[in-house]
Amino acid sequence: MALNYEEMSWRDVRDHFRKWREDNERRSDDVIQLWEAILEDKVSKTGNERHLILEQVIVAALDTSRFDIAGRCIKELSQEFPGSMRVMKFKAMRLEAMERYSEAIDVLDAIIAKDETNAAPRKRKIAILKAKGRRTDAIKELNEYLKKFMSDQEAWHELCNLYMAEGDYAKAAFCMEEVLLHNPHSHLIHQRLAEIRYTMGGADNIDIARTYYSQALKLNPNNLRALYGIYLCCSSIANSRALGSKRKEAYKMAQWALDQANKLTSSVSKIENNDKLIASLESAFGHLEIKSY
Amino acid sequence: MTLYKFSELAYAKMIFHAAKYPHLAVNGVLLSSKTEGEIVDAIPLFHQCLYVTPMAEIALMQIDSYCERENLVVSGYYCAAENFYDNTLDKAPAAKIADKIQENYKSACFVMIDNKLMTLGQEVPPLKVYSCTSEAGRWARAEYKLVQSEATLEAVAALLKRGAMKDVVDFDNHLDNPENDWTNKFMSCGLKQIMAMY
Repeated sequence: MALNYEEMSWRDVRDHFRKWREDNERRSDDVIQLWEAILEDKVSKTGNERHLILEQVIVAALDTSRFDIAGRCIKELSQEFPGSMRVMKFKAMRLEAMERYSEAIDVLDAIIAKDETNAAPRKRKIAILKAKGRRTDAIKELNEYLKKFMSDQEAWHELCNLYMAEGDYAKAAFCMEEVLLHNPHSHLIHQRLAEIRYTMGGADNIDIARTYYSQALKLNPNNLRALYGIYLCCSSIANSRALGSKRKEAYKMAQWALDQANKLTSSVSKIENNDKLIASLESAFGHLEIKSY
Repeated sequence: MTLYKFSELAYAKMIFHAAKYPHLAVNGVLLSSKTEGEIVDAIPLFHQCLYVTPMAEIALMQIDSYCERENLVVSGYYCAAENFYDNTLDKAPAAKIADKIQENYKSACFVMIDNKLMTLGQEVPPLKVYSCTSEAGRWARAEYKLVQSEATLEAVAALLKRGAMKDVVDFDNHLDNPENDWTNKFMSCGLKQIMAMY
């Protein structure tokens, strides 16, 4: 989506910023460009939202190495809230972005010393370990952190990603299950759990993967990944040594999932004969073993 | 020792894909024509999660039949790591895909995008290219060059400055919304034409 800067008012920019903030979208480039072009001079008009916008701009500026902008915004906030822990965290993040890690850790430790219940600086310390490429240390620290802050979904999600990068799928699945407990209606989490189980492989895991994929599809009938996932799981079951009736059922379900995926895709796809590409999945897997019923 | 040649299209797609998601790891496959060895195209695969396999299986099977149709062959793998300093092969995400491609195509190449050399100005191509010379799964540095090196680098730099990388589509984008075309047909008219669009 291209943004037309010339025709935007500061209100439009504010609304965009709000949307990106709420959806947790990382559009640092756009934030900085719009900030410089439009919102910077008008930020006083945004009222109470001003502080949130300033924080958003600080993070975006650090993400794009615009230390000048970050510095200005941090200064503005710290004049308004002298001694604020929240502003101190941004100062630490600025040091972190400049790779002055030991100074950043000093600031973060000072915040933790003043307020033990503050989760944010502890998470930043783990982020520093990750930035340094010390993944196993980050995993260890994150585990310690989660003993104290067990209901932090973001942290469980991050731990899941770290375990996956290490190839420890069983532990990654455990973390994702924690996230699922907090969001039982999120199709994306069901889908991710299914993906992890499928990757682990083995008849049991593929059975579980199929269940999660099915739930994901139930929650969002347009989830294309879930349809393909069901197809993969069912093809695998149909070609396995499972009971004949189970294989037959799986075979039917695989066909159905692929048909649905094809329907969702082919009507809108710009790729020439996309249906044929999808149909090729079937020849790659499917009809080899059908005869054996 | 093989010398790998990358077309401007293949190069631009790899760079755009990495530039579209500067904070994430990305990967994709490279395609060659069946008759000549030159790498003529790239298919960007994923950026959301590179460590799970189901959608990779789906993507690779569809790409396989796409190649069959277009008289191409999957001849390589490229990736860029999430961490800025992870530019060595042992840190490459989902490297198993490369091993698998190499089983089917002996002179396959493995391209690692070097985060440190990835600049807006495109002074040098930020690629590290590896080939499998002795035994399977052992990759060693290989020589490579870009076809029309200077013109390509200049065009890619100009397009990066204009934000063209945001329009490149990978398989993850396609799965999010099937309207997105993972073959990126809009790019196949050549970089000169694309320059006119931005």
